[in-house]
Amino acid sequence: MEGGQHEDWLTVYGQRFSSRLLLGTARYDSPALLADAIRVADPAMLTVSLRRQVSGSKDSGQAFWSLLRETRRPILPNTAGCLTAPEAVNTACLARELFETNLIKLEVIGDDINLQPDPFGLVEAAVELVKRGFHVLPYCTEDWVLCRRLMDAGCEVLMPWAAPIGTGQGPRNPRALRELRERAPQIPLIVDAGIGLPSHACQVMEWGFDGVLLNTAVSRALDPIRMASAFGSAVKAGRNAFLAGPMIVQDMAVPSTPEIGRPFRSASPQSP
Amino acid sequence: MSVIVNGDTHPLPEPPTLAALLRSLSPSVPFVVARNDEVIPSGGYDACHIDPGDRIDIVHPAAGG
Repeated sequence: MEGGQHEDWLTVYGQRFSSRLLLGTARYDSPALLADAIRVADPAMLTVSLRRQVSGSKDSGQAFWSLLRETRRPILPNTAGCLTAPEAVNTACLARELFETNLIKLEVIGDDINLQPDPFGLVEAAVELVKRGFHVLPYCTEDWVLCRRLMDAGCEVLMPWAAPIGTGQGPRNPRALRELRERAPQIPLIVDAGIGLPSHACQVMEWGFDGVLLNTAVSRALDPIRMASAFGSAVKAGRNAFLAGPMIVQDMAVPSTPEIGRPFRSASPQSP
Repeated sequence: MSVIVNGDTHPLPEPPTLAALLRSLSPSVPFVVARNDEVIPSGGYDACHIDPGDRIDIVHPAAGG
């Protein structure tokens, strides 16, 4: 690869990944579509959840588990649906036992309507999980004080939302997201939730975010496999643009073609 | 006498251990179990005594975002 890209890793709690896309596994029409989307998107990690086994079902989760193992992708379990810190901590403990990883995508939901993170429960759960040796990736908002509290709690990665889960609205508060990036330049920031289009992913990567986690934008596309490919390209393009150092936006037009030597040169056009 | 398994009532097994309960339910693998919100490691099922009214959660991997 050119431009030293081979040395450009996403680092999550000491683990290095060449891909900066994290992919959710929910809401695909079939396991085959999910498997193909994973193959095409080439994600660093796959997010999964835990649910109770359905009584009487003999294949609860077995086929899904086999599919995950065949992909050979690292697993990032979540605490989706938890409404309190104790629920989230208990769910994380179950996930660690089942998936044999200390990584946990911490979700503590504070509102049923927009699935907004509960900042108080989030910090409480993060403190307890870090104490128990977890590597916590909290799903949070872009609020600076919340992010600082999470870092103080020991979170080495933050996952601010772009917009509410599953909306596909793209970055709702670009200014605050960019300020967060500027104020926390060292910590890996992965934009999680609310991404709807590859251009959204590309944009946050151009702003210097370290990665993107998405699910519905791929799984609910008319052609999830093609969309998975589009997101893979968009994340790479955005990252390359960030590394390349975009030009500084100018207030006034600047000719890109040299003026010197232009034939038929006449007087300057007059201003209206 | 009964225990609550994944929200449903289930007879207390004999002997009253988690291992006996799991033998009667034969959940599909992989799974993980919590008793009254506490994770029970897979090597601890025989030693895990369960009491009437205990809440047992048996969970498995599921799709998630």
